[in-house]
Amino acid sequence: MFVAIVLAVISAPLSAQWLHYPTAGVPKTPSGLPNLGAPAPRTADGKPDLSGIWEAENRIHDAGGAAGNPTELPISLELINIAASLKEGLPYQPWAAALVKQRSAGIGKDYPHSRCVPPGVPEIDVLPEFRKIVQTPGLLLMLQEFNASYRQIFTDGRPLPMDPNPSWNGYSIGHWEGDTLVVETAGFRDDLWLDVNGDPLTSAAKVTERFRRLNFGNMEIEVTVDDPKAYTRPWTIKLHHYLVLNTELLDYICLENEKDIAHLK
Amino acid sequence: MKSVVAVIAISMPLAAQWLNFPTKGIPRTPDGKPNLSAPAPKTADGKPDLSGMWEGNFKYLANLAADLKPEEVPLQPWAAALVKERVSLAHAREESPANCLPSGLPRLYSTPFPYKILQNPAMTIILYENFGVYRQIFTDGRELPKDPQPSWLGYSVGKWEGDTFVVDTIGFNGKTWLDQMGHPQTEATHLTERFRRRDFGHMELQITVDDPKAYTKPWTVRQDQRLVADTELLEMVCAENEKDLAHLGGK
Repeated sequence: MFVAIVLAVISAPLSAQWLHYPTAGVPKTPSGLPNLGAPAPRTADGKPDLSGIWEAENRIHDAGGAAGNPTELPISLELINIAASLKEGLPYQPWAAALVKQRSAGIGKDYPHSRCVPPGVPEIDVLPEFRKIVQTPGLLLMLQEFNASYRQIFTDGRPLPMDPNPSWNGYSIGHWEGDTLVVETAGFRDDLWLDVNGDPLTSAAKVTERFRRLNFGNMEIEVTVDDPKAYTRPWTIKLHHYLVLNTELLDYICLENEKDIAHLK
Repeated sequence: MKSVVAVIAISMPLAAQWLNFPTKGIPRTPDGKPNLSAPAPKTADGKPDLSGMWEGNFKYLANLAADLKPEEVPLQPWAAALVKERVSLAHAREESPANCLPSGLPRLYSTPFPYKILQNPAMTIILYENFGVYRQIFTDGRELPKDPQPSWLGYSVGKWEGDTFVVDTIGFNGKTWLDQMGHPQTEATHLTERFRRRDFGHMELQITVDDPKAYTKPWTVRQDQRLVADTELLEMVCAENEKDLAHLGGK
């Protein structure tokens, strides 16, 4: 039941017509196949170039089928539980533990993302839809299929704002530490969900994502959530993304012909 | 009544805290203000650089053809009848923005929300604050697809004609209105936007609507765009606390 609801909420038009257009600049093996193990490309200033279309590692392939609600959309474990890889679970403050219990008892019906609002950070890193990174001097852009939305990460040296407008996606800046792009985000709303489970994120949170393009086809994102209001200490997870070739982003406008919300009451 | 509805439908957090951050690379007058009449910047390849934050003109939200005489909008008979009905506000709740769906093109230039152009070698990207949507304009020489997936903002390719950036877009889903009056846009639309940055702070945008299903011939409007300096895009989440739809007319 729980899984069925989750899948209903995140279903997307994956069966839509894809745009076939060969990705430029992909290294090839002698047999002509993309060489995804080739070194990561670099920009003119020598930094790794994270540009490309990426998708999150998705290990839930048949959950929909098992629940009698088949889906074409594999999803990531972390979309359900952001701490899926942490044996010890999350270091909740007592009020946060109680809140998660209450939210998860609602089998996801109050999950804001099911109302088509933005997923926020780091949940944006585990959505099943593709996203394109466009790395330019001073600004790294993420273009997301979800709601044809974007995220700006400023890399022009500006600091995080002192008193940002509280928002779903926060305000992000990035800097390089060696070959790792370190992205810091703050300025969140106080009522966010990190996952379908209802793990909270508050306005006190600072989220750090460390992007490392391991080779041409693979990227690791190490995410640290430092939210002293909701958690007793910072905690860290590792995510994996794969490069997607020879296609393009398609619009996925969540509110278009939306039919799920009425069934979540 | 009409203007009241218009204002409700586009209400937004203008009173919100703006992000004050000086835009880099803007020529300034001795008193530190942006010098908006300085020459337009150029990219390394010598083309004008359209990059920056811009705003269009709210005036065209109600009527994209506000500067034209009514007879200069060559509506097909069925489209004329449709506009007459839509203008009565009987269908106000069928408009995409009233349902928190993208307002489409060229209407995204007729809202009070700014947009940001990022001109890159093989692709120009436009980020619109309105509905928080992006748009990719491919400039790598590819052609428009033969049978594109219908979408809210279509599929765009761009090229330079002298100092004018010409963007051709097809593949619209036909679900948007060109304006609140209800000028229709069908899936047959081929939209052409011609951007010419006259100087640092001013850009001319010429829009040609070629939609033979709804109009007997192509028609063109011209809108002035202004640079917006020293601020940033804010997040706009229409589905958050939406209260307007229930008050609008239509089914």
